[in-house]
Amino acid sequence: MGNNHFTALKDVNLTFGKGEFAGLVGPSGSGKTTLLNIIGSLDTPSEGTAVVLGQSISKLNPRQAAKLRKENLGFIFQSYNLLAVHTVFENVEFPLLLLKYSASERKKMVMDALEWVGLTDKVKSKPPQLSGGECQRVAIARAMVKKPTLVLADEPTANLDAANSHKILQTMEKLNNELKTSFVFATHDEKVIKYLKRKIFLLDGKVDHEEWANNKN
Amino acid sequence: MIRFLFLGLIRDKSRSVVPVLVVAVGVMLSVFVHAYITGFMNDSIEMNARFSNGHVKVVTKAYADNISQMPIDLALLGTGELTTELQSVFPDMTWVERIQFGGLVDVPDENGETKAQGPVMGMALDIIQNNSGEIQRLNLAKSVVQGRLPQQANEILISDLFAQKLEVEPGDRVTFIGSTMYGAMSYYNFVVSGTVSFGATVLDQGSIIVDIHDARKALDMQDAASEILGFFGQGYYSDSEGIKTREKFREEFPVDADDEFAPAMMLFRDQGTMGSFVDLTGSMGAIITFIFIVAMSLVLWNAGLLGGLRRYGEIGVRLAMGEPKGHVYRTMLYESVMIGIMGSILGTAIGLFFAWLMQKYGIDIGSKMKGTAIMMPSVLKARITTVDYYIGFIPGLISTLIGTALAGIGIYKRKTSQLFKELDA
Repeated sequence: MGNNHFTALKDVNLTFGKGEFAGLVGPSGSGKTTLLNIIGSLDTPSEGTAVVLGQSISKLNPRQAAKLRKENLGFIFQSYNLLAVHTVFENVEFPLLLLKYSASERKKMVMDALEWVGLTDKVKSKPPQLSGGECQRVAIARAMVKKPTLVLADEPTANLDAANSHKILQTMEKLNNELKTSFVFATHDEKVIKYLKRKIFLLDGKVDHEEWANNKN
Repeated sequence: MIRFLFLGLIRDKSRSVVPVLVVAVGVMLSVFVHAYITGFMNDSIEMNARFSNGHVKVVTKAYADNISQMPIDLALLGTGELTTELQSVFPDMTWVERIQFGGLVDVPDENGETKAQGPVMGMALDIIQNNSGEIQRLNLAKSVVQGRLPQQANEILISDLFAQKLEVEPGDRVTFIGSTMYGAMSYYNFVVSGTVSFGATVLDQGSIIVDIHDARKALDMQDAASEILGFFGQGYYSDSEGIKTREKFREEFPVDADDEFAPAMMLFRDQGTMGSFVDLTGSMGAIITFIFIVAMSLVLWNAGLLGGLRRYGEIGVRLAMGEPKGHVYRTMLYESVMIGIMGSILGTAIGLFFAWLMQKYGIDIGSKMKGTAIMMPSVLKARITTVDYYIGFIPGLISTLIGTALAGIGIYKRKTSQLFKELDA
């Protein structure tokens, strides 16, 4: 409160390449969500520079930041954050509406995205009618439908059981391989960590260490 | 995009149906209260109009100059023909002849000697034949405390307080002592058929109500009346209607400017302090309505604010997807305009319906008004005016919009990531 400042991140120096399947790993309060928000242009750093796809986040005005998110970034959240009154189709369609695709293009792209996550039979369902795993798959389809360069996933499996978590992670891994979309996770879930090709361990706002999986490119 | 937002609005009852109903209820109350206050204030004017002033009044010019003295010697002559002509020129209006007079009432004992006596204000109107609806106009039947209305010649009503003071009861004989239209002494015997109370001190302390035919005999006023009162077909007084009527009267009844017995028309507001009374009731009505509308606006403003705040989560998602803040803000405003318009139309329709019921049937509070010392209408009625068709849009549309606009400012003030945290909460 007042003039008290809290430093969420300090001395963080990281670079992510195209097609990475990386994760920010650490306990609560380690700064991983803050870093993810900065990468996603939802927040700006008070000091330092964050460059995403060649654009400095600090220098973007709200409209430019929105454009960056709209065209290049996809988000997956812990609690799915689907619009409850809209159908699965409409939820996945929403990012395409912002990009002003035609109705026929939207239909094809949405159905493709739902096929990636195996939910073509649920197009008319609404989120309250789906299981947690299905909701998160819809969220993945929504994040992926516009084929973004980068997908940011904040604790995507936190509300899912083990079986659903693996299914979700396999889907994301498949999309990463097939579409070369970069994924950056914020997680402390062992199930997710196992899938990561690059693990960045954060502790008290600093990068503690990094690990690369054996199949590192 | 518009279809997407519209579908969301329609499907999310808490975003559409509930706000529309909240706005509709607020608007309905605003419209109804405005119509009710207008009606109540109008009824207060109407009471005076019915008892003594009319919406317009035709008198001789000389009578108009001395109206406070009610001089019957300056009364109109040939009123039968004049009333018929007025009715033909103004077919939508009702015209009634009245005589206001003063004198003494003497109550004799069994020997014919004066037992009690008191000054009295008399009002003569068409009671027995009741061709002009005077009994209903003055609510005479319900004002009777003892006895009954006059049913035959030479019967009168006497105010209840006055009757108690004189120790007179229905069936007793009293003598009116006054002067005729031509200045001669007048003694006329009446039988008290009943006592009345109007709830107004001025009327209840010393007045008699006489059938106009008896009064003409007592005051030697054949085919004469001190006043001809005109009542608008719309049922209430308005200055504009009064002015139009007077202009037409002057065209249709041209008179010699020097003839002081020529008929002249006075508007309600021209009589005594009635002009100030009309202005006062208008301002009081406006003030009460203003306070209510402001209160209702605050309620709907708050509703709009809460409606906006509870959507911060959804807004967070939309912003994360890349929708610009300005676009989100504008769509919120468009939605609130739609909600405001739908709620206002619905609320106005319902409010007008209830106001219409209240205007047509009213609520009879006569039984609860016995013994009241103020003169007020015994039937509470609303009155629908043009204002009622749009006044609800002030709280319904404008306040809802302002509430949403204020809630939406939070979108700009909060960081997008903060909206996200609220989404997860």
